[in-house]
Amino acid sequence: MLSLPQLIEEDVAVLDAALGDLITRSEATAALVIDKGGPLIIERGNCDDFDTTTMAALAAGSYCANQAIAGLVGESDFSSVYQQGVTHSLLVQNVDDQLLLVVIFRASLSVGAIKYFAAGTTQLIANQMVRARERAPDEGMDLVELNLADTSSLFQRREPAQQRAV
Amino acid sequence: MAIINQATRELQVKIVYYGPAKCGKTTNLEQVHANVQNVQEKGKLVSLATSSDRTLFFDFLPIEAMAIKGFKTKFQLYTVPGQVIYNTTRQLVLRGVDGIVFAADSQWDKMQENVESFQNLEENLKLNLADIPYVIQYNKRDLPGAAPVDYLEYLLNNRDVQVPSFEACASKCEGVFETLNMITRLLLHKFINESQRKAA
Repeated sequence: MLSLPQLIEEDVAVLDAALGDLITRSEATAALVIDKGGPLIIERGNCDDFDTTTMAALAAGSYCANQAIAGLVGESDFSSVYQQGVTHSLLVQNVDDQLLLVVIFRASLSVGAIKYFAAGTTQLIANQMVRARERAPDEGMDLVELNLADTSSLFQRREPAQQRAV
Repeated sequence: MAIINQATRELQVKIVYYGPAKCGKTTNLEQVHANVQNVQEKGKLVSLATSSDRTLFFDFLPIEAMAIKGFKTKFQLYTVPGQVIYNTTRQLVLRGVDGIVFAADSQWDKMQENVESFQNLEENLKLNLADIPYVIQYNKRDLPGAAPVDYLEYLLNNRDVQVPSFEACASKCEGVFETLNMITRLLLHKFINESQRKAA
């Protein structure tokens, strides 16, 4: 299974610039790059009003569900998913086998314009991911700095007395 | 596959709770959400459920744990719908999974569903179960019709390499954190071992 390569500062800078440029040119509210498995990779724009972590998980699920629907109607894939709202709309655009671009924009903006600008952005992101994969073809994980001497209590349960007090 | 962002020093991992219908997968996440402490950040528990509280797509709980030596470690906990008809959905949720908790229902009359669900997991994973960290949780131990743990081990944990298993009563939060901490430990150690092997 293809997986996301390690991202270094150069990758994040390119993705960040690409999203910034998209927001400037399209007047979108926010843009996210997410993994199709659900994790949020990077976000840009006015994201404070949105729970982007949850949005990433739901958008990925929604997009992947639509791919399954595409298969049912004989399509190889649907390259984007568009949700129209009253104040905000959402476009989820395929980037490559691993990533999606999510654009949140005011509903008054034209989805056609958003799609036009998003197309260039997805290409920039996809190209950078190709470079990242070429840099680390075996997807080597540089985690030797992690110290896992004690992970037994990474998640601790609140004591019953504390539970009653809440 | 875990996502590693060296630029922001983030590690993101995805853990999926799998098992037959009504075995307590959602209850596990609810108890973690309600009772976890000492974490950096706890997100909302999102449940995509039917009007009768049966999981339709998935439940989702993001938790950011205490940084492990400079790395922000973000855990994303998911459940799958247990009902047999939602198999396509289960396949979607398994995408990018790093670790699995298989929750089994300890009641005698659920044994066939446990076995079928485990077989379904192996079919849907699209990779060898031995290649991915997983643990087994025997839930609903408090019910009078619970089968002996030895029997459950024989049914579900009878492979060349036995995995850690836990008795649980998720509705009382018993065994929930033990299970979560063990799958976390297994998958983080797997990442470290892979990292060291590639660095050698």
